[in-house]
Amino acid sequence: MSVLHVLFRVGEADYVVPAADVLQMESFDGATAVPGCAAHVAGVVQIRGRVIPVIDLRLRFGLPPIARTLDSRVIVVSSGNRQVGLLADSARQVLRIEADAFEPPPAVVREQSRGFVNSIARATSGVVMRIDFDKVIGQQSVLEEQGHGQQA
Amino acid sequence: MKDLLGAAEFMDGYLAEAEEHLSAARSSLLAIDEALKKRQRSPAALRNLFRSVHTIKGLSAMVGAEPIVDIAHEMETLLRSADQLGGNLPLPAVDAIVKGLRAIEERITSLSRGETIPPAPRELLDALGSIQIEAFTQRQLGTLSLAPDLLAKLSIGEREQLQQGLAKGRRALRVDFVPSQARAAEGFSITRVRERLASLAEVVKVIPFTLPASAAATGKVAFALLILTDAEDAAIAEAAGAGPEELHPVELLGAGQSADEDAAPEEPPFAEERGDRNFVRVEVGRLDDALERLAALVVTRSRLERACSSLIVAGGSRELATIIAEQRRQLRDLRAAIMRARMVSVSEVLARAPLLVRGLTRSSNKLVRLSIDAGQSELDKSVADRLFPAVVHLLRNAVDHAIEPAAERRRKGKPEEGQLRVSCSERSSSQLTLEVCDDGRGINRESVAKRAGLPIPQDDAELLALVVRPGLSTLDEATHLSGRGLGMDIVKRIVVDQLGGRLQLWTAPDQGTRFTLTVPLSVTVLEAFSFMCSERTFVIPVSAVEALAEIEPQSVTEAPNPGARASAVRLFKHRGASVPLFALGSLLGLAPEARPNSKAILLRRESELFAFEVDRMLGQQEIVVRPLTDPLVTVEGVTGSTDLGDGRPTLMLDPLLLMHRAEQPEAHRV
Repeated sequence: MSVLHVLFRVGEADYVVPAADVLQMESFDGATAVPGCAAHVAGVVQIRGRVIPVIDLRLRFGLPPIARTLDSRVIVVSSGNRQVGLLADSARQVLRIEADAFEPPPAVVREQSRGFVNSIARATSGVVMRIDFDKVIGQQSVLEEQGHGQQA
Repeated sequence: MKDLLGAAEFMDGYLAEAEEHLSAARSSLLAIDEALKKRQRSPAALRNLFRSVHTIKGLSAMVGAEPIVDIAHEMETLLRSADQLGGNLPLPAVDAIVKGLRAIEERITSLSRGETIPPAPRELLDALGSIQIEAFTQRQLGTLSLAPDLLAKLSIGEREQLQQGLAKGRRALRVDFVPSQARAAEGFSITRVRERLASLAEVVKVIPFTLPASAAATGKVAFALLILTDAEDAAIAEAAGAGPEELHPVELLGAGQSADEDAAPEEPPFAEERGDRNFVRVEVGRLDDALERLAALVVTRSRLERACSSLIVAGGSRELATIIAEQRRQLRDLRAAIMRARMVSVSEVLARAPLLVRGLTRSSNKLVRLSIDAGQSELDKSVADRLFPAVVHLLRNAVDHAIEPAAERRRKGKPEEGQLRVSCSERSSSQLTLEVCDDGRGINRESVAKRAGLPIPQDDAELLALVVRPGLSTLDEATHLSGRGLGMDIVKRIVVDQLGGRLQLWTAPDQGTRFTLTVPLSVTVLEAFSFMCSERTFVIPVSAVEALAEIEPQSVTEAPNPGARASAVRLFKHRGASVPLFALGSLLGLAPEARPNSKAILLRRESELFAFEVDRMLGQQEIVVRPLTDPLVTVEGVTGSTDLGDGRPTLMLDPLLLMHRAEQPEAHRV
């Protein structure tokens, strides 16, 4: 059984999310920064009347920031009753990937990515990483997450 | 049981509604019972009770629950005659109605479990049917000084409401309102007048009548508003947009003697009641939808206004400005109309509280007297729905932890019965203040501090900050020692984070604890100032702002700042007082900019004034606020987001909360 995935690029790597979890894709022309929230939160944008937070995947994945281009895309994913935008360098393709093509990432990759990558697959274009966007967007508030980080 | 009408959804709707009316009926009955103890009658509660029972009967008939219909019918008959005879419900009747409600409740429960409903108990129906209500003659109150045609339009209950109000020393007024084009242009419609008066007075009845044809006008329709009030004539006249000649005091004539009031044609009160109150039940979702569309319209309008103002500057017609101004008013009225439809009375929202407290006291073996004074206050349905759980938490804490067992209270020389009071008042046209107050042991600072592992708080505000820490709520033992704590983080989250309101605390050992919740009446549309700060645009609700001022270099004094705090406080001279001045940009962590001609936004916290420096003010407009609910962007001090017409979110700030964030000792800051 093959599943539709949205393919997007952050830095030099390709990532996918299941298309079923993607509500829409929008071009990005800036977000309203929210003072005091985590650095990887680019801010809020208004998409079809809803105000949603946008996570800058470059910063989330530990890459240096770059100037946004016309290729920049906000991929709006839904998780439970939350809607969050993921800001990618580009996102153009929808891929069909066989469900059994995915395999768990090597332990070191999982470790290094803090669980952001939950499986990898080989597509025609090369290796793609499927992200666990619940981990990427975080289940708890930024403050709590940072708080725990400090204690650890 | 057969599937009634073959629709399970319909049944769900029935059960939910029936429960709602049952609980309304119970609280009306409680009110009547309370009044009876004081040898007073409560015509308004009686009518509410009748309405609830009547609705239950109608609903039950629709789902074919005949036994419930039978019981409700007998109760309704009894209540109708009680109302017609002056609102007197004697104790045996109250008892019978209590039994009746219980019987209905049992049958609704059976229905919800899909069981067969037991038939209506014969003895109950007989008991309800056999109660004779005597006409209540309280003619010693005297007759109302009203024209006979107006008097005839009042039900006995309404007359009593006026008579009793007068007897208690309130003033009764007849305020006439004659609609006209000129008044409509000023924004005075009968609904608006009624609404404005309701904030100053108890509006007993609005009676339309025809003005006698005169040279000036031909038989126009006018309204007589009958109100009870403690307010000054001038205030009433202003609220009603009326001249002094349109205010007529209503008095009691011939007090002490039996007037010929009975001679006035007796209208069946309930028939009129039904005509008067044409209710439609609307799913809140549909109103939300209408508001959502209106919100879009408000945004388009501000774009239109911007486009027009540049046209007008370029020499466009003055008519454009008039049209825009008129449209602004119309939109505001439309918004007000929809918002009104969404308002629920706070008394109704709190109607379940007495039963809740009764249940809590029974399980805790404490004596608690709950008094609720919600006045005429109303709240938006969505605010009310979110606020109620917070109130429940506070009541539960008060009963479980704050109010001492009777023996302990006796030892302390307090009355055995603990006092728990919920009161509420409209703080302004956009905010409501709700207080939950007990006379219990108070919150123990030391034990809260110990539990939290932090220094002992110096004042109530610091204590509150500790009490609402999420960790504290899970420590069960602490809640007993400290007298408070359970679920307080939830209360804070609801009041501050979700509703954008404020939570305050006062507590004193063995004297009690008071929580003050200040919340917006509605969370959707409000009037706001927009301003620039560090190159960004923000908005702040007009209702929150005490004053705006220019910052002149000579009116600012630097204060010593040995710790080199980023958000350094200066002193700002404002109307002879020295006010702490914060640079809003540095509170926001943005690059602070020293720029000439900056402005100060003055806000009040309790009795203290604070000033916040911003680059410049942009203007004032109506905005549609959307809460920022996602945990990624919930930040203290940022209370919501709006669209000023550019399709981008603009953040709404609460500078006092930002200041509060900055005030926290570094160690606590995250």
